[in-house]
Amino acid sequence: MSKGTGAVLAIGIFVVTALLLVIGTIWPVPTAVYFAGGEKGTTLHSASTPEDAINNLGAEIKLYEWQKAYDSLANKAEFTEPQFYHDITGYFESLRTFATLDSVDIQPLHQTDSDAEMSVTLHWFTVLGPFEDTRDVHVVRQGDRWAIDWPIVKEQHVPPQVIAVNYLRWDVIYRGPGDDWGTQNVQGPNVRIVDMHPVNRAEGTFVMGELLNQDVVPAWVSVRATLIGKNGAPIASAGTFDMIDHTLLPKQVTPFLIRFPNVDLSQVGSIRMDPQAELVSASADPVIEVQNQKFNPEGAASLSGQVSNQSGQVVNFAHVLSTFYDNNGQLIWVDGQYMDRALLPQIPVNFNIPVPVDLAKKIGSEHTIVATYSTGGSYL
Amino acid sequence: MVAAVVHLPLLIAELPLKSYDTNFHIFFASHYVHHWFNPWNTKWFAGFSQTTYPPLAQQWVAILSWILGLNLAYMAVQFAAILLLAWGMYRFASLWVHPRAASLASLATVVLASESFLIYNAGQLATTAAAPLYLLALPYLYEWLRFGGGRDFIKALVLFTTAGAVHHATLIFGSMFFALPVLALAFMDRDREESSAAGVWARAIGITIAVGIAIGLVLLPFWIGLFRYPVTQTPIPHQSRASYILTPFWGINYFLVPYGAMILLLPFIIIRGAVVPRLRPLMLGFWVCFLVGLGGTTPVGLWLLRRAYYVLTYERFSYWATLLALPIVGLLISDLLARYRRRAAIAITILAAISFSVAVAWTNYRPTDDFAFNTDAVAEWLNRDGHYDYRYLTLGFGNKLSRLAIQTTASSVDGESNSSRMLPELTKYGGAALTSAKYFGKGGLESLRAMLRDADTYGLKWVIVRDPYYDPLLHFTGWRQVDELDYGAVTIWAKDGVPPAAPVNQALIPPHWQGLMWGTLPVGSSILAILIALIPDQRRRRMSEDEEDAAVMPISQQNTVSGRMVS
Repeated sequence: MSKGTGAVLAIGIFVVTALLLVIGTIWPVPTAVYFAGGEKGTTLHSASTPEDAINNLGAEIKLYEWQKAYDSLANKAEFTEPQFYHDITGYFESLRTFATLDSVDIQPLHQTDSDAEMSVTLHWFTVLGPFEDTRDVHVVRQGDRWAIDWPIVKEQHVPPQVIAVNYLRWDVIYRGPGDDWGTQNVQGPNVRIVDMHPVNRAEGTFVMGELLNQDVVPAWVSVRATLIGKNGAPIASAGTFDMIDHTLLPKQVTPFLIRFPNVDLSQVGSIRMDPQAELVSASADPVIEVQNQKFNPEGAASLSGQVSNQSGQVVNFAHVLSTFYDNNGQLIWVDGQYMDRALLPQIPVNFNIPVPVDLAKKIGSEHTIVATYSTGGSYL
Repeated sequence: MVAAVVHLPLLIAELPLKSYDTNFHIFFASHYVHHWFNPWNTKWFAGFSQTTYPPLAQQWVAILSWILGLNLAYMAVQFAAILLLAWGMYRFASLWVHPRAASLASLATVVLASESFLIYNAGQLATTAAAPLYLLALPYLYEWLRFGGGRDFIKALVLFTTAGAVHHATLIFGSMFFALPVLALAFMDRDREESSAAGVWARAIGITIAVGIAIGLVLLPFWIGLFRYPVTQTPIPHQSRASYILTPFWGINYFLVPYGAMILLLPFIIIRGAVVPRLRPLMLGFWVCFLVGLGGTTPVGLWLLRRAYYVLTYERFSYWATLLALPIVGLLISDLLARYRRRAAIAITILAAISFSVAVAWTNYRPTDDFAFNTDAVAEWLNRDGHYDYRYLTLGFGNKLSRLAIQTTASSVDGESNSSRMLPELTKYGGAALTSAKYFGKGGLESLRAMLRDADTYGLKWVIVRDPYYDPLLHFTGWRQVDELDYGAVTIWAKDGVPPAAPVNQALIPPHWQGLMWGTLPVGSSILAILIALIPDQRRRRMSEDEEDAAVMPISQQNTVSGRMVS
């Protein structure tokens, strides 16, 4: 009797355990889905629809399972796995190299029984913030599953050449290797805010402006703004963070933008601006040229164009900063975009900076600069 | 002796220093060394209260460090926990199985893979120190429930309270997985003793209330903090919540390694536990704990724990599950030895050795950190030229963050104790320590960006980087490299215009009376536990005689007798 009950109990436990494992595998809990590759699905889904095929690829990329992702492609014979990998992560160190895929959006464009066109947006997150990579993807049926024709962007090559470098460079000799920043006992370069304009938006108050280095030496700059209430008490204080080019060569101007989320401009009586500047070593190289700049006011307004690296060195990270003016030359907006690929010598890369729709019609002109950071690699 | 032979060399070699949390516990202990009655620690999170974590294990490390130094003191406390586990398991297993099986269960704790995994890979001193105290308390609970002896009540009360002062989670979840089976056992055995059900219930309620009051008092500053500042921070991803089937690597890490050869016995644990009526509560406790320990592999953890599921980690549930299984494992081993003698002994020894070795060595196959990285130069830099007037942040230091905090007088905005964090930049985004921000994806990086944005607020002037991954972020957000250490392996970045660090979180500083309580009651409860262990236990001696009588019976006959007891 007891052994019979025990046997039933044991069998019951085995069955329930097996059921729980099946449930947990087919309908995984959110944490299991997260670690298995994403919010929208797992690698276990068969690619029975074009959307499934794309979601599976997204999950595999998210898990860094490059071989699985490559093997799932319909057109893998057209390129190698390393080419596919570098198309996703960048051929040179860049924002893409250490990016994490956050999510995938799929927009069907056209579909038949045998193939489909999809607009796929990969939402990446990086140490410098998010970026998106949108590609039109062709998906084809192969028997009872769908597979992707990956629209690979192959590495671009620069023709062999010699590039003379004759740009200015300033070096600073410190007291010694242990010298600390800010204790140089050297007067900081002379910088001046040449324009400042607060604006009230739904997200809060934005303080934007332009900073000029009017000295003859380079400066490492930042700007801090303190909002003062109408009663004379400080409301909030914030700095430019990354919405400025921190390295200013002599006579160079940088735009800046300071955000005060959840602060209404109507509460503000005055704004105290505090520009800071330190003497630093700097070079005019690399020079980044902005080409084919065009403002598109219609629809989702944006400023598009290309940036081109005029030096012989790879620029790994670039931040495009644009200043927008109205027809009277008054500054009305500042925004920026990080380039997700490294800037190779002489090869233009597209940029596109969205502009708030309500400001688009007021914009009469714009000015774009590029802040850069290189890890020291050269183009081989 | 076996425990000493097996673990002492590993502990003297300070192997646990390679684990995730060992440095964290030593850091807390280092604060108690200097500020026994002041739990406010300014070295992390711009100031935080150590009353956010039960203190007893760390306080004992602090006490022993006056003789052994911090590292060896930690090893000594860990070794004491290993010895206590063998003792506790014998006493706990004796409730369920005959003494020979209990002895084998006790011996098995020495090479238990889940225990080794927690000691040498996870560094969970509190969990591994609380569990044996809890196991030691359970037989007194059983005897109190059945016989109502005042001495058993006092001993159970003191040991439960001491276990809670080491690790509150063990007490809370231990009640579910360990104490409920013991309660059920007391009911099952009650018929034989002609004790009324109402009496058992009354005694169960009585001791629950008493332990609740005692733990409430001993850890009062902890509960006050929890009540005033409940855990509302965004959950931090932890791989033990993965599905071990969908992501097999985490299955190896959190299932294969901690269970080791015990996986082969899982069906037999269920079968034996189901067939022998007296083992059923224990087996059911094991089964539920086992399912919860599978993390996201099944929905059980989420169903049972609700929101707490997203806060807890599940390697400790696997540890508890193996402890619950050990009495039955001892029984199975006893059977195997009786039937196959030397062949069984050789096979079991080999399997145990492999399980133990893999669990110990796992930290080498999957290192938690770069053990070779030495933070001396960084500490020396922070401790000179007034650098300590500002706060600092490390990036890419892993759990060396705690080691550095022990060495420097400077204050950081970061830290490793997730439950101690109050700064909104740290609690809002779902990242753990900023030093490892990139491993926590979007949440970790958002948290880091928020902290850098608010650098002026906290007097955060120095960012010390050991991972160039973060260099672009620092460059574009206004930080500038000003120095380098270890021939460029570590770079120091600074921000201009940052004011010197000023005290923050002042409202969170515990009042002096809480510091006094924190410095006396937890450690006082442990001293009391040591003293009551010296009091002779008449009833236990009588039970041991009974068990000796049972032990000479054939195993099959014992099962029959056990079955008859409840039928």
